[in-house]
Amino acid sequence: METLTTFEQLLVGGLLAGLVFALVAVGLTLIYGVMDVVNFAHGEFLMLAMYATLGLALVGIGPLVGLPLVAVALFLFGVVVYRVFVRRLLAGPPEATVFGTFGLLVLLQGLAQSLFTGDFRSVPDPPFQATLRFGGVALSQATLVEGIGALVLTAALFAFVEYTEIGRAMRAVAEDRVAATLMGIDVQRVNLLAFGIGSACVGAAGALLMLSFPVFPTAGASFALTAFVVVALGGFGSIQGALVAALLVGLLEVFGGYYLAPELKMVPVYLAYLAVVLLRPQGLLGRR
Amino acid sequence: MRPHLIALGAIVVLCAAAAFGLHDTVTLDLLFTLLLYAVLGQSWNWISGYAGNISFGHAIFFACGAYASALCVTHGLSPWLAFPAGALVAALLAVVTGFPTLALRGHYFSIATIAVAALVEVFVRTSPWLGGANGFELPIASGWAALQFSQKGPYVLLALALFAIVQLATMWLERSRLGYYLRALRANHAAAASVGIDERRWKLIAFAWSAVMASAAGVLYAQYTLFVDPPSTIALAISIDIALIGVVGGIGTLWGPAAGALVYVVLAKGVALQIGGTGKGYDLVIYGAIICIIAAWRPHGIVGTIVDALRRRRGTATATPA
Repeated sequence: METLTTFEQLLVGGLLAGLVFALVAVGLTLIYGVMDVVNFAHGEFLMLAMYATLGLALVGIGPLVGLPLVAVALFLFGVVVYRVFVRRLLAGPPEATVFGTFGLLVLLQGLAQSLFTGDFRSVPDPPFQATLRFGGVALSQATLVEGIGALVLTAALFAFVEYTEIGRAMRAVAEDRVAATLMGIDVQRVNLLAFGIGSACVGAAGALLMLSFPVFPTAGASFALTAFVVVALGGFGSIQGALVAALLVGLLEVFGGYYLAPELKMVPVYLAYLAVVLLRPQGLLGRR
Repeated sequence: MRPHLIALGAIVVLCAAAAFGLHDTVTLDLLFTLLLYAVLGQSWNWISGYAGNISFGHAIFFACGAYASALCVTHGLSPWLAFPAGALVAALLAVVTGFPTLALRGHYFSIATIAVAALVEVFVRTSPWLGGANGFELPIASGWAALQFSQKGPYVLLALALFAIVQLATMWLERSRLGYYLRALRANHAAAASVGIDERRWKLIAFAWSAVMASAAGVLYAQYTLFVDPPSTIALAISIDIALIGVVGGIGTLWGPAAGALVYVVLAKGVALQIGGTGKGYDLVIYGAIICIIAAWRPHGIVGTIVDALRRRRGTATATPA
């Protein structure tokens, strides 16, 4: 009985952790799918969103009400970054996008460090702090809200890419840039929108994460590291793949941490990444 | 070749003179750090610059040397043994991790290096014989046999010797078959493969030598600071610093890493002295801005830009009829 409850607890904990990872990873995978760019500064976009959420909370706007505002702010930020910076990287040699987004990572971390110091900060009086009990399984309300948010966001993004005109254009560009151009699709505009929407997703993620995590200049980095693994595991560019992979990573981490040792919790996750890129580079659900 | 040798000779003479003549510990400390970073940047440059596989996990090879040194000293062996021992372990680690991953391209390789480095860090943290999370404090000794000195001058001389060897090796690389193959693979791996260049073989050789250089720097670092633990040797932050130095100066150039190290040290220490206290992030803002500018507007880095400018001037000078 005891072990069964433990198992259930770990299962629920792992799935919820996975949903949080999905929340961070979907924006990354959208950007990757459309323009073949891994944004190494993705975690720093998340960190900015978390600070923005904190800022709103300090003037009395809670994380959930603030969420759309932060998403819009990050959309605009993404659009500006694309216009002045990423567009140039795309025109350069292939390694320019790796270096360029890496430079952005260093720059944004440095800015946060100098503006906000290295202190850990949390939203004052955050909502959803109760612990819910279902049978023997305990889970925090905040994590549940984040998990639901992740599902809604992933579903919305999936529907957007599958069923809207712009979404179809994005898939066309992802599949064949040249053919898409010949069909009269404005690739620059599609790229710009994809980068903006990917950034808006990470904005929404940042607002939700402030329910249960503190923010500090390197807060995004650890999430981003997991997000890279999730995106690779699910297949670079695949939204539903990212969701499945995120759940898998969440389970691996929680079960690994429990049955091996807490400090070994990331080992199965990294091994899974290496195994996938070496054996199945297109990822679990990715296409080649 | 000639001008490079002259430049290197001048640097050696100047630094040696400083090591013998100066007794100002702050300046000598800066000089030692600068030379050590230049070596680490060059080591990174072999695999990430010349071969084009961008590594974000290079600190593990640096850690091989640092830990070899700590283990030798704490087991009563000569720290000089750490040079061959660390080099061997680093080269083996490079071959074992490089064999499957070096064929990965772009971000696939870069993220794999992060994953490998994270696994190595966990391994060290959970291994009591490697000091676990606490690391090692090296017992204090003195003299050439113990590779420890009460003055900073000898450390600068050792770092200078290492720097000179690494620069000479890189001059050789630029003119060797290995160097041409690496640049061919970086420019177009399919075309290079079609003329019979074995990507895995040549990149493994470059990766192993790169690891050996970083390991040697690690030995000197451990003997200098007398303290080795995961955050100061293996952590992702160290790997990112090494990559920073490599990119800022200009990837795939002979003097890029040295220039990058100069910018790095001057900014890190200079900013700290001017604005007061490290950890405020101003240095990160400046490095980040430099890398962004280089990546988007000057993809050849500081040295590459200077070389281009010189070529253009020379080009126009000869093209203009006298």
